[in-house]
Amino acid sequence: MALDNDKLKELYRNMVTVRLMEKRVERLVTAARIPCSGHFGTGQEAVGVGICGPLRSDDYLFGTHRGFAEYIGKGMAPAEILCEYYGKATSLSRGRLGQHLLKVDVGIMPLPSSLGSEFGMSVGAALSSKLRRSGQVTVNLFGEGTAGQADFGPALEMASLWQLPLVFVCNNNQYVELAHYRNVVATEDIAPRAGGYGVPYEIVDGNDIALVYDATERAVSRARNGEGPMLLEFKTYRRGTHYTGDPGGYQPQEEIAAWEKKDPIDRCRERMMAEGFWDETDEQAMRETIEAEIETAVQFAEESPYPDPATVYENIYAQGGSKS
Amino acid sequence: MSHRKITFIQAVREAFQEEMRRDERVFILGQDVRAGIFGTTSKLVGEFGEDRVINTPICESASVGAAVGAAMTGLRPVVQIMFGDFNYLAMEITANQAGQWHYLSDGALKVPLVIETPSGARGGAGYGHSQSLEAAFILPPGLKVAVPSTPYDAKGLLKSAIRDDNPVLFFEHRRLLTQRGQVPEEEYLIPLGQADIKRAGKDVTLVALSATVQKALSAAERLSRQSIEVEVIDPRTLVPLDKETIFKSLQKTYHLVVVEEGRRRGGFGAELTAIAAEEWFDFLDAPVQRLGTISAPLPYSPVLEAACIPSEDDIVRAVLRSLGQED
Repeated sequence: MALDNDKLKELYRNMVTVRLMEKRVERLVTAARIPCSGHFGTGQEAVGVGICGPLRSDDYLFGTHRGFAEYIGKGMAPAEILCEYYGKATSLSRGRLGQHLLKVDVGIMPLPSSLGSEFGMSVGAALSSKLRRSGQVTVNLFGEGTAGQADFGPALEMASLWQLPLVFVCNNNQYVELAHYRNVVATEDIAPRAGGYGVPYEIVDGNDIALVYDATERAVSRARNGEGPMLLEFKTYRRGTHYTGDPGGYQPQEEIAAWEKKDPIDRCRERMMAEGFWDETDEQAMRETIEAEIETAVQFAEESPYPDPATVYENIYAQGGSKS
Repeated sequence: MSHRKITFIQAVREAFQEEMRRDERVFILGQDVRAGIFGTTSKLVGEFGEDRVINTPICESASVGAAVGAAMTGLRPVVQIMFGDFNYLAMEITANQAGQWHYLSDGALKVPLVIETPSGARGGAGYGHSQSLEAAFILPPGLKVAVPSTPYDAKGLLKSAIRDDNPVLFFEHRRLLTQRGQVPEEEYLIPLGQADIKRAGKDVTLVALSATVQKALSAAERLSRQSIEVEVIDPRTLVPLDKETIFKSLQKTYHLVVVEEGRRRGGFGAELTAIAAEEWFDFLDAPVQRLGTISAPLPYSPVLEAACIPSEDDIVRAVLRSLGQED
């Protein structure tokens, strides 16, 4: 499905929602309204939002710890995210997950605290959909730092060997925790590693949401047609620090400034305006709506009760088993 | 019921065959499972095809990870880890992921998964192919742990494990694999969490796991000649643990001995002894005797290996110590 104007507007709205949500949650973390720290992705919203554009609701997504882009892109609402971050009884996990966002009924799969432990799981999800002939595709989003984890290579190998409907997506934002990635990553690009396993790859500008969408659409269609896995590497930039308590200072100001000029939200808006299907009035109205939605969600999360401590014993084990 | 004698390997393979025929969601993956290095999965590929008996690359963590992902999305995988020791390669996935996502998702995800793993010392396999690590899986939440000691138990427990909606570690002691035992022709299941009294007795409760059950039975036979009647209990699963059967026995014997081939320090015996001290204190006439492998790497030479793990003689002495009859 090609990217039409309506779809682009939807992706744009999602990116703005992500940006505004992250700013809002950052304030809530700093004000200690939320107990966890936050890992935000200002400047890289196009990747997480864009890769979800071509996905079906039942496609599987394994996301990252950084920001809300793929979670909002795949169908999590601000109130659902906020209730998890607050650890309230109204969250989908009833206070168990915090930053490890999960929403199974729209295909949002586990985000392991130990990043990279999802590589095997995404192979399993893709293997499962292949064996069940369900036509589902699995997308595994990870950062360039996580590509150092032990299961990355074996996951590429299994996906290639079994020709799985699995799209690996490397969000290369150039910073691994508190250092430029070239301190800990041996190569400029992650993507060619896929070639070693016989998995085709593409390297794409991750700050142009139309390019992110198109590349993902090609890889997902290919996977859905039984043509096997692909790896996409999106080049982007993390303009903020690693987490809310990180004072930063290790990213050159001129580097940040250069990437601000390539901001994915600005680029998308400028394109829509230039093509004549978006104007300042639309922009104003959309921002007001999103901000109101976020404030309603914050209020809901604030007012929600904490879970009953007695619930800690519930669902440790699944009861029952296969009846067939 | 009509019985016949089959090996532990045959019993396990029958469990796989029956469950794979019964439920098309069940499939097996692991290194060389098509050939089946110890025979438990041999020939299954002929009946069930390559989609359901999948050879994996050599990477335990990604293989268990793949099984977890498949289990979360509607299938019921069995992943074989060729040697118990290699479970540590997948420990992150087993301990931090497999056992936790049902709870973390508040029930939205299920992880119906079996990790089948031949293990234990069989003389001469060396430090990294010989350990009994079942107790390491008591600690992480959300897992179940089966340690069958007979072909009959292996088949019945494995069938239950495959039908269970939780991750189950299934340890097969390599000394037991070729042993024969009575197994009915008819289908049966053994629930996880039900101990078996392998020998009745009134003087000492002897809890033994896996391959040490046979040593315990031989020791009991010898002690019986001295008019000491040992009750040998095989818990069959460590999680869930059938405390009730052990407690009932203790209420009769007032003496508790526990033996395992896993390491004594921090082992299953340590857990059971703690339970006894907390909950059964009034039913202990003597200190609990706890036997297990010494906390050293398992050496290669069969003579050295044997010196590390509990023997039949060690068990006899432990029972006598418990009764204050140390010789």
